[in-house]
Amino acid sequence: MATMLDSRTPAPVAEKPPVKARRRINPLQWNVAGGLAGWLWLAIVVVPIYWIAVTSLKLQDDYYDANPLALPTDPTLENYRFVLESDFARYFTNSVIVTVGSVGPAVLVSFMAAYAIIRGGAGSRFLRTVNGLFLMGLAIPLQAVIIPIYLIIIRIQMYDTLGAIILPSLAFAIPLSVLVLGNFIRDVPKELFESMRMDGATEWGTLWRLAFPLTRPALVTVTIYQGLTVWNGFVLPLILTQSPEQRTLPLALWEFQGQYSVNIPAVLAAVVLTTLPILTLYVIGRRQLLSGLTAGFGK
Amino acid sequence: MKRRNFLTLGAGAAASAALAACGTSGPAGGGGTAKAGEASYWFLSGPPGESVRTGAVERFNKANPNSPIKPTAFQNDAYKDKLKTALGAGQPPTIIWGWGGGGLKSYVDGGQVEDLTDWFGQNAAVKDRLFPASFGPATINGKIYAMPAETVQPIVLFYNKQVFADNNLTPPQSWGEIMDLVPKFNAKGIAPFSLGGQSRWTNMMWLEFLFDRIGGPSVFGDVFEGKANAWSNPLAIDALTKIQDLIKADGFVKGFSSITADSNADQALLYKGKAAMMLHGSWSYGIIQAQGGSFIKDGKLGYMNFPGVDGGKGDPNDTVGNAGQYLSISSKASAEQKDIAKKFFTSLLDDTEQSDWIKTGGVPIIKGADAKLASSPDADFLKFVYGVASNAKVFAQSWDQALSPTAAETLLSNISKLFTQSIGPQQFADNMNAVIGK
Amino acid sequence: MTIAPPVVRTAPPGSNNAGGSGSVSWMAWPALIAFTLFGVVPLLGVLVLSFSSWTGQTTDIPFSGLDSWRTVLADPDLPHALWVTFLIMALSWLVQTPLSILIGVFLAARHRYRAVLAVLYFIPLLLSQAAISITYKALLDPNFGLGAGLGFPFLQQDWLGDGTLALGVVVFVVSWQFIPFHSLIYQGGVRQIPASMYEAAQIDGAGRIRQFFSITLPQLKYTIITSSTLMVVGSLTFFDLIWVLTAGGPGGATQALAVDMYQRGFKANLMGPASAIAVILVLVGLLLALGLRRLGGRDQADSQLEGA
Repeated sequence: MATMLDSRTPAPVAEKPPVKARRRINPLQWNVAGGLAGWLWLAIVVVPIYWIAVTSLKLQDDYYDANPLALPTDPTLENYRFVLESDFARYFTNSVIVTVGSVGPAVLVSFMAAYAIIRGGAGSRFLRTVNGLFLMGLAIPLQAVIIPIYLIIIRIQMYDTLGAIILPSLAFAIPLSVLVLGNFIRDVPKELFESMRMDGATEWGTLWRLAFPLTRPALVTVTIYQGLTVWNGFVLPLILTQSPEQRTLPLALWEFQGQYSVNIPAVLAAVVLTTLPILTLYVIGRRQLLSGLTAGFGK
Repeated sequence: MKRRNFLTLGAGAAASAALAACGTSGPAGGGGTAKAGEASYWFLSGPPGESVRTGAVERFNKANPNSPIKPTAFQNDAYKDKLKTALGAGQPPTIIWGWGGGGLKSYVDGGQVEDLTDWFGQNAAVKDRLFPASFGPATINGKIYAMPAETVQPIVLFYNKQVFADNNLTPPQSWGEIMDLVPKFNAKGIAPFSLGGQSRWTNMMWLEFLFDRIGGPSVFGDVFEGKANAWSNPLAIDALTKIQDLIKADGFVKGFSSITADSNADQALLYKGKAAMMLHGSWSYGIIQAQGGSFIKDGKLGYMNFPGVDGGKGDPNDTVGNAGQYLSISSKASAEQKDIAKKFFTSLLDDTEQSDWIKTGGVPIIKGADAKLASSPDADFLKFVYGVASNAKVFAQSWDQALSPTAAETLLSNISKLFTQSIGPQQFADNMNAVIGK
Repeated sequence: MTIAPPVVRTAPPGSNNAGGSGSVSWMAWPALIAFTLFGVVPLLGVLVLSFSSWTGQTTDIPFSGLDSWRTVLADPDLPHALWVTFLIMALSWLVQTPLSILIGVFLAARHRYRAVLAVLYFIPLLLSQAAISITYKALLDPNFGLGAGLGFPFLQQDWLGDGTLALGVVVFVVSWQFIPFHSLIYQGGVRQIPASMYEAAQIDGAGRIRQFFSITLPQLKYTIITSSTLMVVGSLTFFDLIWVLTAGGPGGATQALAVDMYQRGFKANLMGPASAIAVILVLVGLLLALGLRRLGGRDQADSQLEGA
């Protein structure tokens, strides 16, 4: 990434990067086009979200009674009560387990694989083959391979467990993660690897002490992206689990949809409840997240 | 070299994984995940049916604690995908809930479901208490593969009495009167017909009635039987032309192709008086009752069978819709599970379940159920539905259920094109002729 | 600002090889095993199925040679689906990239209120497909939706009933959900640009717009490639949202490859042709990934300071 330009600083770069100064980036303070886009986009983002929040406070009976954007004349928490009574906490926990359990290991093994491919790819036919395999995997539509996956899960006796969702989710997160992480690792100046090697570091040590800190922005990006994909995943939980004890949130959302109609306010209440904890997490962790995205290699 | 070996190995593994579906019944505890001595039963979730279905299972399990049924409910679309995967992997549940017709036929062709003909022969009492018409979609090649269950759901022409009264108009008695009403309502700023056209099957109901009223049941019957070029029948072309005439005359609410049926926006148009009429399944009654405030209580909801077309060959008493819901038994199930399922079938639609369905606004597919309807607060509507179902000489199944899944998918996508007028009647017929018998 | 001479790379990119590969190969194994079991094996299964006429409902798989391929390749729907896939990919890239960059730059400045905005922007990312489809179908309803709610007649279009509009809706909703994520990436990227570069440019008298095009944009090059990779490859398998919003309609106007595959396989019981389309999808994805990798891998030694 943009870490490239750092290699141009005259100082020997292999040393520990200097701590970033929290510099004010003056030229960016006042930016008309960006501001315009920012505020316009805010309106576009907020209207549907506002609609979700407002509608979740209405009863299904008077859903069509008033202006869709009007505040409810008679706000009710009935939908929330209904959703919370439908074992919401369990679905939430399941979703957390599945997301953490698949994205954590997926990013880790992808990181290792990306490192191996970049470092050893030129001299190893095996690694180039592996890389080709991952590239091919980028466009595998989940729906297309769901039946074979289902058969494998049954074979390994994992049907109707959270593990049944975790394993394929983990596997499907790998190709894109390897590609993105690989692009980052490739941009780490070769001299840094050289000097690590001359210091006698092992590849394993170099992976953690050099590549890991330098690819942190990419690791954060990939983790969020894959985390959201798994969090909102619907097909795998649907096909690979069955009992209500193993249900994840996206599956549970469908509980409020009948054959011919949907209880819209109830679904939206569930959506709000699903979103709030993650949003809270984001508000709290935003600083870390951003510094993760920004932290590359010293300025 | 290494790579080739690797790929070969992979291909072998994949093939064996795919082939694992063949022959072997798979390891115990697959899709159906029923333990020995227990039968599994998958059905649709959501109101109003889910609680009635669960109730029936609970009563059965209480009476048969040693051979229980394990129920699992899925949302409509989710259910179809889930079931397809389970069938493809050879791991279906013991009891399969379905719609009969073309879907059932595809199970039969795949050897997935039990032939129940003999069982019904031995248990005439089970068969005789049900509507005879309900066995149509359960019968494939002269054999019965499913137990008809639950309720009858004809498609009904609903109208807003208030809107008609306010404008001094009377509900249409023929297709000609429908076309006459269209400009009158449009002049008042009221949409003649509400339609959730984005959902596609909603549009299909119109064609089902027009085909029947214009040409009688044989026009679609020819398609169903796989006669070549059956869609090019002049009577079919006439029906397709008539529906496009109605669309061109602004017979449907503006922007109908953007309205979805699952959000019930089409129902809201009717009870809010923004549209005068709506062709929809009998289940709409329950939805309007739940969401339409006092609309039904105030006696504003009118309903009738679809009127005839002047000069048409069809009988205006005929109807289309769901003649019932259908339970099949997986041929993969153990003998013990099959016995449990059959025992469960005999327990279906007992008095409690019948009154449960009546409470939801449904008419159970039991002969003489009308006697039970009188005490319901919705007696008028229920009796009307019972009347339609029992007076119909032909109770045609919804096309998308009657046809094979392959043809049904082509049908729905061409209907969508027909209603947005991107293709004409002739093109529609040509496209559909191509999938006849598939 | 002092500009050090560009780093001279002795080896071409991609050959960042420390010597023997034996020492790193093992690191690829965990990913390889996981991906082989749940990615490669099922994919080979799909390849096998593309030579069958399986309905997905039987327990034996009838093989039919090249029939499925002939059906699919002769079907006029295939070029159409490829075109729709390309349109969605290109349009959503064209909409998302400039907006994401602008918003990313805007958010990069450290203003408290912008932090609040960033939180609001983040919300669409968290919503599941079911939630998004319900929301947009309701807001786009011509009678009870946003047009009626705000009293803007121009919002009362036949959004999902007109082919062009429906495609636009799909692109819009995809952008609505993912622009926040890409802005976040760009925000991180912008904050990595050394302030000294802007200072130098200011001294040279470069205006704001000039700075954006001569510093910000070139410096974001690799961020753009990463974000574009996610967008482009993501849009290939982008199926759920299209399915729940339009189901490929009206009249096939939003029938992308993945939708076509699902419709044939899971709705029409034609697993053979569906598998053939899946194989085509994988090939398209492979080509795109290779192309993008080339973009990401080349030109690294180019000076990025031109115009600074």
